[in-house]
Amino acid sequence: MNLPDFVRTTTFRWTSTAFAVCILLFSAFVYWEAASYMVAKMDAAISEESLAVAADTPDRQLAAIDDRLSEDPRRVKLAGMFGADGHRIAGNLESLPQGLPFNATVQTAHVVRVDQHGHEAMTVRAVARALPDGNILVIARHNGELKELAEVVARALLLALPFAAGLSLAIGAILSVRVQRRVAGLNALVRRILSGNLSERIPVLGLDHPFDKLATVANGMLDEIQVLVTEMAGVGNEIAHDLRTPLTRARVCLERGRANATTLAELQGVTDRAIGALDQSLTIITALLRITEIENSRGRANFSEVPLAELVQEVGDLYDPIAEDKQVTLHVTSEGDATVYCDRDLLFEAVMNLVDNAVKFTPAGGCINIASVHREGENIIRICDTGPGIGENERDVVMRRFYRSDKSRNTQGAGLGLTLVSAIMKLHGFRLALNTATGCVAEIICPLPST
Amino acid sequence: MALGNSAPRNSLTLGQRCDIVASAASIGKLPMTKILLIEDDSETAEEIADELVQRGFEIERAASGIEGLDKARSCRPDALIVDRMLPGMDGLTIIEALRQERVRTPVLILSALGAIDERVRGLRSGGDDYLTKPFAIVELVARIEALLRRPAESRETMLRVGPLELDLIARTAKRGDRAIELLPREFRLLEYMMQRSDQLLTRAMLLEEVWNYKFVPATNLVDVHMGRLRHKVDGPNDPPMIHNVRGSGFILREPS
Repeated sequence: MNLPDFVRTTTFRWTSTAFAVCILLFSAFVYWEAASYMVAKMDAAISEESLAVAADTPDRQLAAIDDRLSEDPRRVKLAGMFGADGHRIAGNLESLPQGLPFNATVQTAHVVRVDQHGHEAMTVRAVARALPDGNILVIARHNGELKELAEVVARALLLALPFAAGLSLAIGAILSVRVQRRVAGLNALVRRILSGNLSERIPVLGLDHPFDKLATVANGMLDEIQVLVTEMAGVGNEIAHDLRTPLTRARVCLERGRANATTLAELQGVTDRAIGALDQSLTIITALLRITEIENSRGRANFSEVPLAELVQEVGDLYDPIAEDKQVTLHVTSEGDATVYCDRDLLFEAVMNLVDNAVKFTPAGGCINIASVHREGENIIRICDTGPGIGENERDVVMRRFYRSDKSRNTQGAGLGLTLVSAIMKLHGFRLALNTATGCVAEIICPLPST
Repeated sequence: MALGNSAPRNSLTLGQRCDIVASAASIGKLPMTKILLIEDDSETAEEIADELVQRGFEIERAASGIEGLDKARSCRPDALIVDRMLPGMDGLTIIEALRQERVRTPVLILSALGAIDERVRGLRSGGDDYLTKPFAIVELVARIEALLRRPAESRETMLRVGPLELDLIARTAKRGDRAIELLPREFRLLEYMMQRSDQLLTRAMLLEEVWNYKFVPATNLVDVHMGRLRHKVDGPNDPPMIHNVRGSGFILREPS
């Protein structure tokens, strides 16, 4: 069978089913409410009548029963007077109903009616009262009205069902087509994004709809991806550029050497320069791979509590001779016995990179200070120098791969030091703060775990 | 790499460097040391084999993992150079297999996988040293020689090279009658060099073994520290003992 697409959707099936079940439940409820109301009313009338008859004098009781039965065109009333031994004295009940307690509330009972139409067994609501003279009065009412009511409700239901079913199908169809249309739109959009159009976004209708929430989340994700992709493309260009520079040097060296060198010594000189250039490109590749390695490492397997003073002192010892060669004074000051939970090798590498930068950029006669400081809720490794510092406008870009300040174009290095430091910071959840207010201050801020 | 502080008197030229490394092999009294090279890239293998033959080694070659393992068992080499990724059988698997057979031959792993974790894995599987591609051929030779002449675990507490003496217990050093004041790191550096006198020690080897760094720092740290040490060991009137081999590393030798 060829059903339209929306019929197969979950939205359509659930809406239709729910609608049908609701109509059935509603009809049942209407019937039940009406029936209990009618029964209650009937019971009150029976009870009242039985009390009225019982209150009469014995001789008028029989007349009252006859009156009652004669004024009953719908043939719903029943009554009977029985002797103490159970024989019938008057009324249209064949015998005393079995199991009907005396002087209790109105109950359902099975009786046989006897009149000019003959015998007829039926279910009635009845009450039995024991009279002072020993007789037993039974007043009952046939609940044929209830059956009629059920028939009315059923008829209404039958009439309403096709209409309701049509309505529910229509609502299900509308809802499901609407959802389907949005999903189809989304499908087309995702295909366009997949094909490379990363600037596309899912439209948000401004309603508090789950679709809108989903769209907001997905759009956020797309923003992030777009930034990453753009960044990556930029990095690709930068890598190509930074590798091309030394590779070009190597190539030119070798080419010229091959054409012009006349002695072995000349050729060796050329080769050495070419090897130097190749080493430079290798340094860049190694540094890049190292950054990727750190950025991708998730584990904290090598983490431990590391005493800061010791670490700072070691970096100081390592760089003291280098600073001295450059006629730069290097001081190490450490406060207290603070420890930081970290990968020692990585933190060491980060501090080393910062000190390396400081040594590189501080002119002769300058001064570098490495300090470990404890502050409220955090430990800080601070490196101050008297170098040219990082300009206000350069502070963010220095973290980018390969960024080199114009001032540093002639200093050797891969231009990846700060990127490496920021990768290490990210892994640890530390912060790197660069301040240019007084000389150049670089701070590694290690927040203490809140206890 | 330009070395700003290398004094001309103890710098060697490229030509002299080869002589030193070649003679280092003969000083080690290793007549026709046999090395098994397991490398699938034939050009790389060719270059390495040529260089090592030129330096007086006997070379066996294997181009696949399985052939390599067979040769390692049959021809009893003095050292192995094993590429990490090989057709047929992974380089680390070969090493593990050999170590399980209680073969203690020193192994140098060559690998394009440079990450620290990879290095640790290589050494854990039984390799003795790990060299990341691309490498300088001098670095490879220096490391192979270091493996072949690994100092035996000795209880010697006094190291001597010519007039140089290092007392490992008293932590003192002297050259002839002149006492040398050394910082802890310098002491460790000199100790390492004296245990491997006449061997070319590259910067990377020193960084790994003396400084224990698994990464190569940007600045020429080793050169600066070595410059300090040389200044202390080789006084102004002494014949030099610590030699800078241009572009490669350092050698500690008895003064000639």
